[in-house]
Amino acid sequence: MTGIAAAAAANASHPAPRRAWAPAAAALAAAVLLYTQLSRIAGFLTYDLAGLARGGRPGSAVEFFLFEVPKVLLLLTAVVFGVGILRSFFTPERARQLLAGRREASGNVFAALFGIATPFCSCSAVPLFIGFVTAGVPLGVTFSFLISAPMVNEVALVLLFGLFGWKVAALYLGTGLAIAIAAGWVIGRLKLERHVEPWVWQIQSGSGMPAAKRSWADRLTDGRAAVREIVGKVWIYVVAGIAVGAGIHGFVPTHFMASFMGRGVWWAVPLAVVLGVPMYSNAAGIIPIVQALLGKGAALGTVLAFMMSVVALSLPEMIILRKVLRPVLIATFVAVVAAGILAVGYLFNTVM
Amino acid sequence: MATHKKIEVLGPGCSRCKETYRVVQHVVDGERLDVEIVKDDSVERMMALGLMSTPGVAIDGKVVVSGRIPKAQEIRELLGLE
Repeated sequence: MTGIAAAAAANASHPAPRRAWAPAAAALAAAVLLYTQLSRIAGFLTYDLAGLARGGRPGSAVEFFLFEVPKVLLLLTAVVFGVGILRSFFTPERARQLLAGRREASGNVFAALFGIATPFCSCSAVPLFIGFVTAGVPLGVTFSFLISAPMVNEVALVLLFGLFGWKVAALYLGTGLAIAIAAGWVIGRLKLERHVEPWVWQIQSGSGMPAAKRSWADRLTDGRAAVREIVGKVWIYVVAGIAVGAGIHGFVPTHFMASFMGRGVWWAVPLAVVLGVPMYSNAAGIIPIVQALLGKGAALGTVLAFMMSVVALSLPEMIILRKVLRPVLIATFVAVVAAGILAVGYLFNTVM
Repeated sequence: MATHKKIEVLGPGCSRCKETYRVVQHVVDGERLDVEIVKDDSVERMMALGLMSTPGVAIDGKVVVSGRIPKAQEIRELLGLE
């Protein structure tokens, strides 16, 4: 095992594909083994080692924490690594090439899908926006990409999957894509091109660089870099969020949240959306808290609306986009996306 | 050898761009290269180079890194040092 890892490391610049994959495969096997034993380990640590009483409040809070933290971090590491590799195949330049000159409806669908797969950080929003519109990607299609890229992200999906199960994660993915497609289409219909800052249209954009040849070893390095960058940044929020969530699990009475986050409360969804706007990049910490609240009677639609608002409507991104968009267009963007999120919130509160 | 080259570090000034600048600076200082390092945060320059994701690095007007923080080793290779 260490021999293989050392050999792979020694050959890091030009390793044979099999050697490059070996450490990743070994780590995956270890993670799967650990994952299946987590429940037993958490129970052992809580009740046998620490000697807390079974069924007691402190015991259930501690067991929850000891089970959920390693579970979510393992899932997060595995998925971020996989997505890091996947994303080495997609670049904004390639997305632009494929979207330029595409018709609106189908363009919105493709843009939303590319938004998931393409690496994106809100600090790149401006160059990306200009690069798209000056290359002939329609404004609405560009927005579908800009909405889907932050909203449907791997960190949110992993946390939803880990804490709520695959159904909620799939619902989030599906409705998130639907909002990105619909909101982009609506913005396209509104013909708001004149509300893009005029200097944007003057910019001569280069045709893009030739794609560098990348080996599998490079892509694996990308995966590891993604883990360092993303997991390195969000783990503290995950731990803090789960700690607060564990406290809520153990100590807040059941149905406590039903009175003000339950499905009978009509203003809960809009309030969740408004509260979500100033919160940014802390989705990793918010989901565990929200999950605990859900267990105490909060409604699923309200919870999803809150999540979406946190990641899709971020204040820093709006300020960054102000460089290229006039206030009318920013306000329209926020209003259309918020309307989509509200619809999703009310839909799930009614249906589920 | 690499003389009078110009390296541009492109990005709006987020932490990833600063880290990229630090990596480039480290290589240039460590190798005592006669290279000009420019930090450019203008969108116009990024567009002229065809760069859409930051941070980016361009050597003599050619984009060599986009959307990620490069490794020191990579910069050395790109400068033709190894």
